[in-house]
Amino acid sequence: MWFEQVVFWALAVVAIGGAVGVVMVRDLFRAALLLATVFVAVGGFYVMMNAEFLAVVQILIYVGAIAVLFIFGVMLTRDVRQGNTPNRLQIPAALVSVLLLAAMLFTAVTTDWTTLAGLGLESQSQIAQTQAVGIPDASSLAASGLSAQEVESIAGGGLADLLIGEFVLPFEAVSLLLLAAAIGGLALARGRGR
Amino acid sequence: MRCITTPENMLSPEGAFGGNPLFYWIYGLAAHLVPCWLAYVIAGLVIMLILINAVLLGAAIVSWGERRLLGRFQNRVGPNRWGPFGALQPIADLTKLITKEDIIPYGADRLAFTAVPVIMVSSLLVATAVIPFAKDVALVDLNVGVLFILAVSSLTSIAIFTAGWASNNRYALFGAGRAVAVLISYEVPVVLSLLGVVVVAGSMSLGDIVVAQAVPFFLVQPLAFFVFLAGMSAELNRTPFDVAEAESEIIAGYHTEYSGIKFALIQAAEFGGALFVSGLIATLFLAGWAGPVADWLGWLWFLIKTFIGIFLFVWIRSTFPRLRLDQIMAVCWKFLMPLSIINLAAVVLEVYFLRDASGTLSTSDLWIMAGINMVVAVVSIAFFGRIIRQKIRNSSRTMTASAPMVRGVPTIEVG
Amino acid sequence: MYGLEMAKGLLVTLTNLARKPFTTSYPEQRVKQHPRFRGEEFTWYEERCTGCASCAKYCPLGIIKIVTSPSETAPLQGDKYRLEVFDIELQRCMFCGLCVEACPYDALFMGSGFEEGQYKRTDLVITIDRLRQADKHPSTWFRPQLEGMDYRPGVSRPLGWREVGREGWRWHQHEKAGMRLTGSNTTRDSGDEA
Repeated sequence: MWFEQVVFWALAVVAIGGAVGVVMVRDLFRAALLLATVFVAVGGFYVMMNAEFLAVVQILIYVGAIAVLFIFGVMLTRDVRQGNTPNRLQIPAALVSVLLLAAMLFTAVTTDWTTLAGLGLESQSQIAQTQAVGIPDASSLAASGLSAQEVESIAGGGLADLLIGEFVLPFEAVSLLLLAAAIGGLALARGRGR
Repeated sequence: MRCITTPENMLSPEGAFGGNPLFYWIYGLAAHLVPCWLAYVIAGLVIMLILINAVLLGAAIVSWGERRLLGRFQNRVGPNRWGPFGALQPIADLTKLITKEDIIPYGADRLAFTAVPVIMVSSLLVATAVIPFAKDVALVDLNVGVLFILAVSSLTSIAIFTAGWASNNRYALFGAGRAVAVLISYEVPVVLSLLGVVVVAGSMSLGDIVVAQAVPFFLVQPLAFFVFLAGMSAELNRTPFDVAEAESEIIAGYHTEYSGIKFALIQAAEFGGALFVSGLIATLFLAGWAGPVADWLGWLWFLIKTFIGIFLFVWIRSTFPRLRLDQIMAVCWKFLMPLSIINLAAVVLEVYFLRDASGTLSTSDLWIMAGINMVVAVVSIAFFGRIIRQKIRNSSRTMTASAPMVRGVPTIEVG
Repeated sequence: MYGLEMAKGLLVTLTNLARKPFTTSYPEQRVKQHPRFRGEEFTWYEERCTGCASCAKYCPLGIIKIVTSPSETAPLQGDKYRLEVFDIELQRCMFCGLCVEACPYDALFMGSGFEEGQYKRTDLVITIDRLRQADKHPSTWFRPQLEGMDYRPGVSRPLGWREVGREGWRWHQHEKAGMRLTGSNTTRDSGDEA
């Protein structure tokens, strides 16, 4: 398991270093590139947690679309080499950041992180894990001691079943949001008149 | 062998690398000498080395083959001076590029400028990891293979934009912005057409898709094949969509400021991308390594089908004139995207109605789908082509009808 | 977008693939030049040249350098100078052919070759020795008498000095000023000796 430790710490250094760099680097374009690096590192974390689907979707969406969006935004800004201009909101921003950090630390520390596998409930952990974040592999599920019925139910659908079945309302709400964004983009692009 | 399947020690070979005969052979050899995790790493590295070399050499060979094929399409001979049939021409090109001066423009962002060719080549090499070259022979057979390829290919847009920005050249930035706009626009129809493939095959793993092609998918979903071909031409910045880097553009687009080995790497990424997409077409639409005679000849059929893909790309390149940027966008959003949505809808409906209780499709089902989809393809291409033609004709008619009159005489001839 | 025409275009290129390419592979094959081609060489007949330097005077670039000295036997043989230097600078020549037009004795002709590239700039000057030794395949530019002769520069045999002039063949029978032989590398004929 030391192999996993090495990979974890390498990814952690990259992610945290990149995140710190995003905030501290003066050149905005380099900050955007570091943000893309952080996204890739987070994708690596997802791979380590057996969620390959989520990792790949993370890279596809975050790096392939959102980072590109950031970079376009940086391109349309002037004088990016000098970094942010000084403004009056520095103290309130620092205050809010500290409060947010305190809230996240409190949550992280007081949560019970024992996994189901640690409690001896392997089969349930397999179900919970694969249904939430991955398209499961039928052979590995069968090898982990689930009954044939359970394997069928997990490997048959997984994420797709959840999206269309149980979580269809958030799914449709997100698609409505995308539609609103597309219409807004069209409206912006049309310009005046015509 | 000391340890072959002890999941407590390392990741099990059954998981990712499992099934690859070369991997097992090397792993078996190495496990006698070194601890098993090292044997695993060594086996993986050897296969990666073979794959990387194959892709880069393939990029060089594709550059030679493309120039010769392009020449024959244009009634002339391609390069024929270096080596028999000019086969050593890529070596001559590479030598020339390596010995050129490596210029970094004044005021350029040095780290980003240097990192761009690296990102482009490495994203290409990572993406080739999932392509099956023969039965069970892929570096990794991910169960999200198609999505992985899409994700890694989207790194190219960042690399291109970084190239334009880091060059400290506003014309390079414009060219890069145009190229990135084309790239991210064409991801939509490409992804939708690949969705059709995934729906019919029932899995995102490339090995499973090849196995599921009892009837090759270019027959079962001709619309998806057409959209994928056109969309990937645009993603690779190939003619007729190469407004970003064409020879007749005033500046060379995002790679204006690149010279020497960096430019050679960018070209390698471009030709390697053409090779990789041809391999992808072979896998997804032409039934990959499946062929008549034997299973161990799978690599031969794969090579032949990849060559068919490259031939298609060069054929299209030598035939069609370059499109303007607004025409490229019109083709994407008004022509290819509706086609891909139609394909997806048709395929989903057919799969829903035709599949049997366990969810698989039989060969006859695939042929029925092929027939229906062929009709749908012809009808929808004709329909959308007519719409686009009407739009262009209408727009030109309104332009001339509203021509200003000078002394009672229209200054532009109407009609 | 323009379906059937696109397919026709693709068919055209495909038939091109089947045809033989009509490229002339350069060092092994050469494209035939037309007879009036103003090549990069010059064909000079020393027997006809009197050293009048009309060509040098007419040259718009002034690249012809002629240095003559009075010939010792001139009063005996007629009006002809001894030519010491006759340089044509190829690096600036534009091959307009005005020098050929200017020569009153039909002594200078454009050549038919085009492979005069040299490795050094200093080698790009045609000296009198090279003019004497050059291959006598004059181009028919501004010399209708050569065209009337059915002469083709790339194909026919080299021409001698008696065949290239505007004068009739009988004129060669008599002694005439300017038709005498001077200098080295020439042969004397029996027909025109004082």
